[in-house]
Amino acid sequence: MKTNKLKVALFLAVVLMTGLAFTTAGKITVKGSDTMVILSQKWAEMYMKKNPGTIIQVTGGGSGVGLAALINGSTDIANSSRPIKSSEMEKLKARYGTLGVEIPCAKDGLSIYLNKANGVSELTVKQIGQIFGGKIRNWKEVGGVDANIKLYGRESSSGTFGFFKDNVVKTDFSPACQSLPGTAAIVNAIKKDKFGIGYGGAAYAEGVKDCKVKKDDKSPGILPTAETIKNKTYPISRYLYMYLKSKPTGETKAFVDWILSPEGQKVIVEVGYYPLK
Amino acid sequence: MKKIIFSVLVFGASMSNAQEITKDSIKTISIDSLQQAINLHQMKFDALNEQLSPLQAQVDKMSKLKISGYMQVQYETYNYQDVPTANGPLQLKPGASETNIPLSTVPVDITNSFLIRRARIKFTYEPAEGVIFVLQPNFSFSAVTLKDAYVQLNDPWLNTFQLWVGQFNRPDYEVEFSSKNRILMERSRMSGILYPQERDLGAKLAANFAPHYNLPLNVELAVFDGNFGEGAIGNQTSDVDSEKDVMLRTYYSLNLPDSGLGIDFGASGYYGKNTVFVAGEFSDVNSSPFTAEVGDKLKKQWLGTELQVYYDVLGGIALKSECNFGTISGEANATGVLNNNPGFNFSAVRDFIGYYVTLEKNVGAKNQAAIRLDSWDPNRKLSGNEVTAAQDLRVNTWSFAWQYFFTETTKIGLGYSMPINETSTSITTEGVGDLYTSDVKNNTWTLRFQASF
Repeated sequence: MKTNKLKVALFLAVVLMTGLAFTTAGKITVKGSDTMVILSQKWAEMYMKKNPGTIIQVTGGGSGVGLAALINGSTDIANSSRPIKSSEMEKLKARYGTLGVEIPCAKDGLSIYLNKANGVSELTVKQIGQIFGGKIRNWKEVGGVDANIKLYGRESSSGTFGFFKDNVVKTDFSPACQSLPGTAAIVNAIKKDKFGIGYGGAAYAEGVKDCKVKKDDKSPGILPTAETIKNKTYPISRYLYMYLKSKPTGETKAFVDWILSPEGQKVIVEVGYYPLK
Repeated sequence: MKKIIFSVLVFGASMSNAQEITKDSIKTISIDSLQQAINLHQMKFDALNEQLSPLQAQVDKMSKLKISGYMQVQYETYNYQDVPTANGPLQLKPGASETNIPLSTVPVDITNSFLIRRARIKFTYEPAEGVIFVLQPNFSFSAVTLKDAYVQLNDPWLNTFQLWVGQFNRPDYEVEFSSKNRILMERSRMSGILYPQERDLGAKLAANFAPHYNLPLNVELAVFDGNFGEGAIGNQTSDVDSEKDVMLRTYYSLNLPDSGLGIDFGASGYYGKNTVFVAGEFSDVNSSPFTAEVGDKLKKQWLGTELQVYYDVLGGIALKSECNFGTISGEANATGVLNNNPGFNFSAVRDFIGYYVTLEKNVGAKNQAAIRLDSWDPNRKLSGNEVTAAQDLRVNTWSFAWQYFFTETTKIGLGYSMPINETSTSITTEGVGDLYTSDVKNNTWTLRFQASF
């Protein structure tokens, strides 16, 4: 008798857990990378037009903010312009018992913006790292005029900041680097500052010039173009990601599948990034 | 702040200009007056900049300090057994171990209680990249105790090694997994006995080979005083002898993202010694008596394995397990004993084995459930009626818990703990009679409220 009761209780528990596991709200929330906000909003608008019953809410805040929201359960999808950190994955393991699901959804190149009047037009990745790390402080050290270099960068919650730090600077940013809230603000600052240098998405480089980037001293300088970013010859290329806490189901799955479809990937080009294929 | 002030000034300036335009023709405004207005505003901006610059430096400093914390308050109900005492049968004290002679009892039965389990604030200060100071006090009714106080230095060259010095968690999966994130109400009995109070004073060299070498391998080597959580608090502030305990833990993370599977597995070892502080009769691993003198060293060493499996099915499921086996030693609490382990209150050396297996299930975005079997056998050489001392009895504990996230940072948990001790008819300890011929009743329901920030 006792055994039967236990079996019934276990059965009910399994049914309850399974039911709750598949429960999804009618709304999809997307939060994270500022670099991806416009792209993500465009995806959401188009998808909602095609699927009037679905509500998709997109907000920015930075990749770190998006991933933190994914961990604490306040967003369904986290946009990130850098790969998830191992510490963030550990938190997902602790909270949900999963590794999270990483979905590369677009490609991007990080441009090095220079003022159009700047005589320098080519730098190695190492030189760029040394400039933002504060080791190189004068343009004459990299073939330019005798003038102090003015640094413009993103805030630490930004995935662009994290990617650039991990892959280019590889040390602390110089304290002289001025943090600005968004790539557009960096571009504006460089436009006005003859001796400024900044970094950000290749799509934003309007009114400034892109610096050619050399992988090392012996490599040729490469401009960030659709072709060089897609074929990875441009040295500072990256994927843009969406992260979910577990395998998507229901509306979220349909939305993710649509983003990866040719129709969704077409939007990427319109916004200025590069599709996966 | 700068942006707001700037916007207000620009808006104000444009408003005042707009008013003038409505009164007069734009031609009447001279370039000079515009220039004057611009200069005036420029001076205001410069003055503001001057005022804000020192504040910015203060804000930058403050941003290096992170404050987090959590509080756990709970309501418990008990089903604890009456045990024979000199004053007649009295209820076993809730929370007391049923096999730790002498048994703790309460003069009047307690069936339920409210209590504060944790009230902690953690300060993390990172004055420079890779230099971290951590201070974590715990607040209780009558005292503030220090849980964590350490300096962590990260190697800036390879981004692989970390040096920790101070008071921090011993390197063990269950110990390092904060109770803030745990689903079950308490850690396993094994952890509590092997690593009392979780922390110790010492130094640790940790290596994480993932960032630089893309190798998901972690190694932790630590040296500790070895007496934390043992004896009076005053004795734990420094070492009570010259011996140091050494811990080594290594684990590898195998991630198979395509199949949603993650497997962390590893091994650990503990090498330490217990110093005898009061000469007397002890019992060796074969339960044979021997006499120990003051200053004698008793074995305290074990090996362990660990496994954590994470699988993305129905929203996430995790299986976690650890097993430790080796030799533990202790000295029963008495005046002059500086290193009594409250979880092993026994003048003995024993070959033990302990393990736990936990199954955790994430249910949707707001619920979690877990079930665990943990086992602690302090004397793996004896079982059943061969056991003649209560301290040698094995205890298996079933634990169940459900957590509901009321908000992102507030959760409500309901848990049940059901320890089942091994039985023996051969225990003749004075005062406890035939208490251990059946399971000692000591189950607990816990309703916990946790808030964190």
